[in-house]
Amino acid sequence: MNADLVLFALAAGLAIAFALAMVVQKTPVRSVLSLVVTFFGIAVLSVMLAAPFIAAIIMIVYAGAILVLFLFVIMLLNLNEEAREKESRPVQRALGLVAALALGGLLLGITLRAGTPPVAGPAAGARIPSVDEIPVVGRLLFSDYLFAFEASAVLLLAAAVGALILSRRRME
Amino acid sequence: MSPLSGVAPMSVPPAAFLAAGTLLFVIGLVGALLKRNALSIFLSIELMMNAVNLLFLTYGRMRGDAASHVIVFFVIAIAAAEAAVGLAVFVALFRARQTIEVDRVNLLKW
Amino acid sequence: MSPALFDVLAGIAKIAAVWAVMLVALLPNLVWAERRGAGLIQDRPGPNRVGPFGLFQAIADVLKMFLKEDVTPLYADKLLHTVAPAILLVPALTTFAVIPFGSTIPIAGRNVKLVIADVNIGILYIFALTSVGVYGLVLAGWASNNKYSLLGGLRSGAQIISYELSMGLAAIATFVTAGSLKPSAVVDWQVQNVWNCIPQAVGFVVFVVAAFAETNRVPFDLPEAEAELVAGYHTEYSAFKFGMFFMSEYANMIAASAMIVTLYLGGWALPFVTATGVWGGLLSIAVFWTKTLAVIFVFIWVRWTLPRFRYDQLMSLGWKVLLPLSVLNLLAVAWIVASKGTP
Repeated sequence: MNADLVLFALAAGLAIAFALAMVVQKTPVRSVLSLVVTFFGIAVLSVMLAAPFIAAIIMIVYAGAILVLFLFVIMLLNLNEEAREKESRPVQRALGLVAALALGGLLLGITLRAGTPPVAGPAAGARIPSVDEIPVVGRLLFSDYLFAFEASAVLLLAAAVGALILSRRRME
Repeated sequence: MSPLSGVAPMSVPPAAFLAAGTLLFVIGLVGALLKRNALSIFLSIELMMNAVNLLFLTYGRMRGDAASHVIVFFVIAIAAAEAAVGLAVFVALFRARQTIEVDRVNLLKW
Repeated sequence: MSPALFDVLAGIAKIAAVWAVMLVALLPNLVWAERRGAGLIQDRPGPNRVGPFGLFQAIADVLKMFLKEDVTPLYADKLLHTVAPAILLVPALTTFAVIPFGSTIPIAGRNVKLVIADVNIGILYIFALTSVGVYGLVLAGWASNNKYSLLGGLRSGAQIISYELSMGLAAIATFVTAGSLKPSAVVDWQVQNVWNCIPQAVGFVVFVVAAFAETNRVPFDLPEAEAELVAGYHTEYSAFKFGMFFMSEYANMIAASAMIVTLYLGGWALPFVTATGVWGGLLSIAVFWTKTLAVIFVFIWVRWTLPRFRYDQLMSLGWKVLLPLSVLNLLAVAWIVASKGTP
């Protein structure tokens, strides 16, 4: 029982507990906040997986920008109503739950049973070094994945323009 | 699961990370299927994407491959773009129908 | 003593030292300094009744905050109302983890770096903290069930995320020259070359202005303006929770000043002095805190000198002026570094 195992148990437990809380909460504001804690747990797990850069990016972009945007939309449009008590289509919901859990069991079985695939390891330039993986990721982004990088920049611009146009009031 | 040679062994078994990631994915899936509020469905989808990020990072760590970090980086960027446009769609929907529950958006129903 | 145990003990000692300086020594005196400074600039005495020169005013304030009745609004979300100040306080206090407050001190034969956590992601940690700190403000406004609080909270949240961008881009330019994301690397670069405020003057100005906006200080304090918004997002707070807001604002100010000093004003280094050993380490700590105090004095000075911005002026300044300037700064710096040949 080393310290890493304890940290993993805490972080994974936090993430899963608050993910369940997010699904169970009735008001959207509390769901968003539960999801923020879940993302923090995932960020801690990423640090354990030798990806501190990704952990920081998750907190900055996901927890710090995307979910803040959710919160703003909820607060500005006053969408914080509680879910209705009357359930509609209970049989369908029950079947959906069973199917999702069955899929989950299947996925769990597959991921835990599969071994490392028999392909060659990464090229020398793409190995995760033991000390600092940020230069490696940076170099990959600008060499092998340059097209995807530039394309994602165009995508973000298109998304920003699209969001502006879609949420504009119609000029009658 | 044996790691590739030349990669430092993980102190926590990778199966644990994979199980955690899959469990988060399933919770997100359940949320996406069972919630009625469009925002809650969207939040569950974001959870699913982040669970997949965790799985990518685990496999990358097992192989010692930094390409997994690059893939996760792009997934996050695309999720940001999707969130922006999705929320704009919800705002427009709310203005048109005064509700955001997916059950009530049924004008095209027979 | 094993190296691991020594590292842990050194870390705890560093954390205790930083918190002892920040919380115990600096925050109460900062409250006093702000009030006396305000009095000085406005040609009035300021607090001078509690203790000599009013120095115990801070103790009186703290006592007031502990002893007042804690009121929660009737239909407010109690959990969020209580948690919001805490969410705001944690980033303010933990930003100091990656800021180098001195060079190195040799203790028991080993060189102890005077940074609490010299992580590789350095500045990204600070950005992540500021991003999470937005929640404290927005939730405080929301959970008070009060229109003025909600407006103040949303305005403050929008202001912070707008200026966070320019601040980040201006800061990144300093890391591009240093070649690493650690603030200690930026200080080392400045020790070997020149203070960053000279070659990156545009970035310096952008960063300082954005730091004023990030910490909700005048001229950017519309979210908590007394005349326009009652008290903005902390209208419905009293006693200890209000004290936490107060404390987090000053802690944020100290952290922002420390960042300005680290990134642009040479950190813990004096221009022509290189001292090593124990005295060198202690001197570097003293230099760092002196510079930070000087920047804090500028914060206080500006507060009581300038009028505040209107909200649309504030947003247009952030998006239409500071963001293009910081992008151009980054492009210019990157061009120069790239043309010198990458290592």
